[in-house]
Amino acid sequence: MPTDTAPAAEEISYVDAIHHALGDAMRADESVMLMGQDIAGHGGAFKITRGYLEEFGASRVRNTPIAESGTIGIASGAALLGLRPVIEMQFADFITCGFNQTVNVAAKMFFRTGHPVPLVIRFPAGGGVGAGAFHSQNNESWFTQVPGLKVVAPAFAGDAYRLLRAAIADPNPVMYFEHKFLYRREKAVVDRGAPTPTRIEGGSQVLREGEDVTIVSYGWMTHRALEAAERLAEEGISAEVIDLPVLVPLGMDGILESVRRTSRAIVVHEATITSGFGAELAARIAEEAMDSLDAPIRRICYPDSPPPFHKGLEARRIPSVEGIVEGARALAAW
Amino acid sequence: MKRYPAYDPIEYQDWSPDPEVMRSYRGLVAESEGIQRSLERLGPAGLERLQRGLLRNRLHDIALKRWVRTGVITKAWLGCGEEAATVGAVHALADGDVVGPMIRNAAATFERGVPLEESFRAYLATGDSVTKGRDLHFGDLAHGVVAPISHVGDLVPVLAGFALAFQLRGESNVAITWTGEGATRTGTVHEGLSLAAARRAPLIVVVQDNSVALGTVRSDRFRSALEGMAGGYGVPGIECDGNHVLDVHRAVREARELCVAGEGPVVVLARTFRLGGHATHDEAEARRLFDAELFAEWGKRDPIGCFEEFLKEEPHRIGGGAEEKLARWEEEVIAEVEAAAERSLASRQTAPPDPEAMLGDVFAGGSGS
Ligand SMILES: Cc1ncc(C[n+]2csc(CCOP(=O)(O)OP(=O)(O)O)c2C)c(N)n1
Ligand SMILES: [Mg+2]
Repeated sequence: MPTDTAPAAEEISYVDAIHHALGDAMRADESVMLMGQDIAGHGGAFKITRGYLEEFGASRVRNTPIAESGTIGIASGAALLGLRPVIEMQFADFITCGFNQTVNVAAKMFFRTGHPVPLVIRFPAGGGVGAGAFHSQNNESWFTQVPGLKVVAPAFAGDAYRLLRAAIADPNPVMYFEHKFLYRREKAVVDRGAPTPTRIEGGSQVLREGEDVTIVSYGWMTHRALEAAERLAEEGISAEVIDLPVLVPLGMDGILESVRRTSRAIVVHEATITSGFGAELAARIAEEAMDSLDAPIRRICYPDSPPPFHKGLEARRIPSVEGIVEGARALAAW
Repeated sequence: MKRYPAYDPIEYQDWSPDPEVMRSYRGLVAESEGIQRSLERLGPAGLERLQRGLLRNRLHDIALKRWVRTGVITKAWLGCGEEAATVGAVHALADGDVVGPMIRNAAATFERGVPLEESFRAYLATGDSVTKGRDLHFGDLAHGVVAPISHVGDLVPVLAGFALAFQLRGESNVAITWTGEGATRTGTVHEGLSLAAARRAPLIVVVQDNSVALGTVRSDRFRSALEGMAGGYGVPGIECDGNHVLDVHRAVREARELCVAGEGPVVVLARTFRLGGHATHDEAEARRLFDAELFAEWGKRDPIGCFEEFLKEEPHRIGGGAEEKLARWEEEVIAEVEAAAERSLASRQTAPPDPEAMLGDVFAGGSGS
């Protein structure tokens, strides 16, 4: 929704894209409100809601007690009456304290009663910041398994902006995974005046074309996949890189089309491997494109072990550019 | 105590006893039969332990601040100004009791006998630390210290479980944990207290009300609501001055007695004030949350300065010679903290965590990943 006040396209960071998407959505639609711990005066743990208490007032920018379950329940109730609450989890890891309200109340309401719950929960997620087991998790697949929740995980500032606007406009509960490592490192030119979608729709985007192997990823790992492709090109291996900003609903067409061409597929994510979203992607590829494959599908993910506090050790577990390159090499040589 | 202008909040930099504050500090001691009993129980040796504990706590925090300043670590969560709420509580316990500290109560680990360097090693994530570099939050059951997780409030039911086990085994021990006033709003604290209350489990929950949760000041309404918290569970509640180490000792000692008599759990409400930031990164910002006068007020009530002054005023309590004793204890604690910090820094060189061992350690009993 273009607004009169939106500035011309400018380069902004991923974290500012989220900040602006919230502000622009609040300006465009009075029913949008923000809830979360320390988000009002303090501006939130990452300062994403800074300035909004002053601009929109305390009724639309609400501090909550340390009560995730209550917060998500209240947001669901308000959403049922037509408000559009956007909740900030202080860290993605704290969603555990609000799990039932998310997966049983919000997620199943529309199916059971026909009443939509237009609610967004923002998850500052992911590692690489040396923050230990409770401030680093990638818990998106806890939610991709729950029918009724849409799940997004943007890799780029532009997508972060557009997908948050779409998530807020969408009539369903949307789990919005924003990667902390990208907050200030990833930047892009974002045109805040351009129309944004009003639904979260499935689909993927080809970021780099290639012929020998398809690498599918999302979030931070998409950036590593791109770097790996660059390195692979130097070795004469042509990798196609596909980013999947929306996990649910899952749009497989682009991925399948690519895999049918390259005959090889690698799935990369930062979440732990077993029952991670990569397992779903690998299964779909196997189900629908098995006869095009020249090599087994490979998953490159975090090992099945909690994130350690020691930064160097953590770094060894997060899928590396080198790891992706090796994986692609092995498949190319199959 | 010696002050550390580079690290102390301004209120502590030229701290000197405020006559008004000291009058009420002494007044509380004189008026409170409970504190009198605590003083008897503690005796000179116990008072020395309290003083050493307070110093250890403050100097441990200053060492961490120094490391943040020099880039050794990126961040630390400290208890500056709130030391009495940890140290007074821990020293009211008995052998075999179990503690579940939040990160702000790190002093509970070393005051229960975990070597001081373990807290430093946890921050440095060394391979020879208790968690082998895996977590900043640590505990050691060998010393009766339960490791917290980051999620606030989550130790309340866990410690209730320890309390229940003591009860079932007929042991007259208690379990104690702390929660910030902010964390009292979690469902977990409510559930843990409800369960403990249903079983009259020997659990002490210290509500450490430091007036603020991260970047949000607690409201006056919420301040009063905390007073009714124990009543909401039909269990005894005890209030204390969280900056008065003797009053905290008194409150937890009484809570412990109630627990052992089968009248637990007990909610101890300790009012105190966070004289730093939520962590080291927001110290400047945190000062804007309250009026400067409020900082000044609480600054006068430095739990360490006041206790030292009290001992100087009533030196017979430690067998006389207070000035000289306080100076010697401080010197020894400084040396102790410095040595522990040195040893931990050495661990960083000599004992880096083992990346391979870590991957296989997800399950007990040797079934690898
Ligand atoms: C369940 C949960 N939600 C959110 C957080 C993020 N968080 C960490 S500390 C904190 C504030 C805690 O305030 P309080 O309980 O008063 O303790 P204090 O820090 O003042 O000692 C918050 C919100 C958390 N750790 N756990
Ligand atoms: Mg607090």
